[in-house]
Amino acid sequence: MSELFQETVIVSILAGTVRIMTPILLAAIGELVTQRAGIWNMGIEGTMLMGVFVAYIVATATGSLWLAVFAAMMAGALVGLLTAFMTATMRVDHFITGLGINLLSAGLTLFWFRIYITGRPQPTFDGFDNVAIPVLSSIPYIGEILFNQRLITYFAFLAVPAIWFLLFRTRLGLEIRCLGENPKALDIKGLNVTIRQYIAIIIGSVMTGLGGGFLMLGYSDRFLPDLSAGRGWLALVAIIAGNWMPKGVLAAVLVFALLESIATHVQVLGIKVPHQIFLALPYLASIIILMGVRGNVKQPVRLGIPYFR
Amino acid sequence: MIKIEARVNPKLHWTVLMYVSATCLGLFLTALLLIFSGADVVKAFSALLKGAFGSQKALIATLAKSTPLILTGLATVVAFRAQVWSIGQEGQVYAGAMMAYFGSLILLGLPTWLLISGIILFGMIGGALLGTTAAVLKDRFGVNEIISTVMLNYLIVFLLSYLIGGGPWTEVGDTVVYQQSSTIPEPAQLPMLFDSNKLHMGFLIALVAAVICYIILEKTPLGYEIRALGFNPVALAYRGTNIGKTIIVIMVISGAIAGLAGVSEIFGTSHRLRSDTLANLGYTGIIIGMIGGLRPAGTVVAGIIFGGFSSGALYMKLLAKVPSALIPAMEGILLLAFLCAGVAARYKIVRIQRNV
Repeated sequence: MSELFQETVIVSILAGTVRIMTPILLAAIGELVTQRAGIWNMGIEGTMLMGVFVAYIVATATGSLWLAVFAAMMAGALVGLLTAFMTATMRVDHFITGLGINLLSAGLTLFWFRIYITGRPQPTFDGFDNVAIPVLSSIPYIGEILFNQRLITYFAFLAVPAIWFLLFRTRLGLEIRCLGENPKALDIKGLNVTIRQYIAIIIGSVMTGLGGGFLMLGYSDRFLPDLSAGRGWLALVAIIAGNWMPKGVLAAVLVFALLESIATHVQVLGIKVPHQIFLALPYLASIIILMGVRGNVKQPVRLGIPYFR
Repeated sequence: MIKIEARVNPKLHWTVLMYVSATCLGLFLTALLLIFSGADVVKAFSALLKGAFGSQKALIATLAKSTPLILTGLATVVAFRAQVWSIGQEGQVYAGAMMAYFGSLILLGLPTWLLISGIILFGMIGGALLGTTAAVLKDRFGVNEIISTVMLNYLIVFLLSYLIGGGPWTEVGDTVVYQQSSTIPEPAQLPMLFDSNKLHMGFLIALVAAVICYIILEKTPLGYEIRALGFNPVALAYRGTNIGKTIIVIMVISGAIAGLAGVSEIFGTSHRLRSDTLANLGYTGIIIGMIGGLRPAGTVVAGIIFGGFSSGALYMKLLAKVPSALIPAMEGILLLAFLCAGVAARYKIVRIQRNV
């Protein structure tokens, strides 16, 4: 295990952590808005997978990475629209809706993928390169870890204060939080509850789609079925573990990503421990974190309860 | 001006109409997918039907495919009727298969009937243990069961991947295939029915499980508690029922049934412990339970139809060149349509006059 504690390896683990944080953070911070509006979106995993897949299709078909990013966000928005229709308009149970969305995305992406690669080798693409930030990236260690990443990674970290501002310093944010605590108050004031639920769900889903897009375009060159591999669920756990506050969510995502980064480095360094143990660690950690956060104060009171007038 | 209003007592014909519409909508959207993929819709659907129910051989294959699905569907029914949103069926299938495999290793040598009963019991215990874990996490630590069951699903898949990929249960011999165990010896395999080489005893177990589920849910005090927990947990608690204990019992039953699905697949069909044959049985079971209206009889019917889909998919792939991944996509579409129908059946559209 001593290989792990060399200088270059530690820098590499931490830089990897920042990279792995990106998709989970985008989804978690976006879905925080959805959750604050009282919608338990259980379909984050499926939404992310759809973003991953659409990004792949557009990247390989057009060769334009930024178009692929945009398409991933639109795919997220579409899935969000379906989620919103089911939960806000039809008022189907939030949990069941999410399960349906997950199954649908897993099936649709696999089906489309099989058709897409029938009769030819699987197309690949060249993903995003690092963009080093001038001056900052030349700080020893810290520059390499924080300021020599993909553009979307910087965006993900900027999104944390941005979402905080949206939720706690704007009128829309106040209304969204009110949806999660007391939607009737909005209704009585003559403000449309359903439209605001749609907005909150679509903000979360677009960010989740973007997270999926990054997962695809940031560090791989081809799609594999179930590429999202539970990251959407980890985003959901991060919201709960982070006590529905942006900084808490950021901290929880950091823990998950650090564990995953250590796992990948252990594998690459060939340390003689079954690699499945490290793959399992983020999931195990999330159960343990959830066991510890009992007695939440910030959980929206109306979370997961459909609003009926 | 129109207004949507809840129905006090949903009328049967309206409910049926809604579900028939949902089925039509689901099939229509699937047909669109087929057109999009460039396949011949009529040819694809007829190949699917023929491959599923077209001959005696096809029918037997369908029933064999439906066996684990009925079981995971029933596991869903027991949990969801109590509004315990466990999606741990997927992991419980794996846990059941692994415990049963462990059982088969230590029990080998016993008389056949004892060996088979032992394996089945081990499988049920495996699934039940994993189910209990989620229930205890919920009861003692307030961990949401959806999240914990998903996390446990991932954990158990990694555990199996270790055990059969480098761990103690990896296949031994000259031609070793990665990620599978050695073949299960013949005495430990589930006996076949009707001299077929596909339909095994697991199907009978699934039918018996359905009957037992029906009896538990509808005819016993426990069933009353399960249903009451779904309707109004507060009232149930005032009545003096220990909610935490009830949830544990529910998860033990649900997990044990899901574990049986793992036993049936490994000891009846693949005859080796491997991951790919177990994948998605649990998740599909959730759809089946939901489409079956969370009723045991409905679940058996839905399970057989879905078993038909998956056994017909192969035929469809051969004849109409449609990827068999169409099936999960179609299942997802059908589920969402059925969910909407379930809600729509409870409402009516009425005209109201606006008073100015």
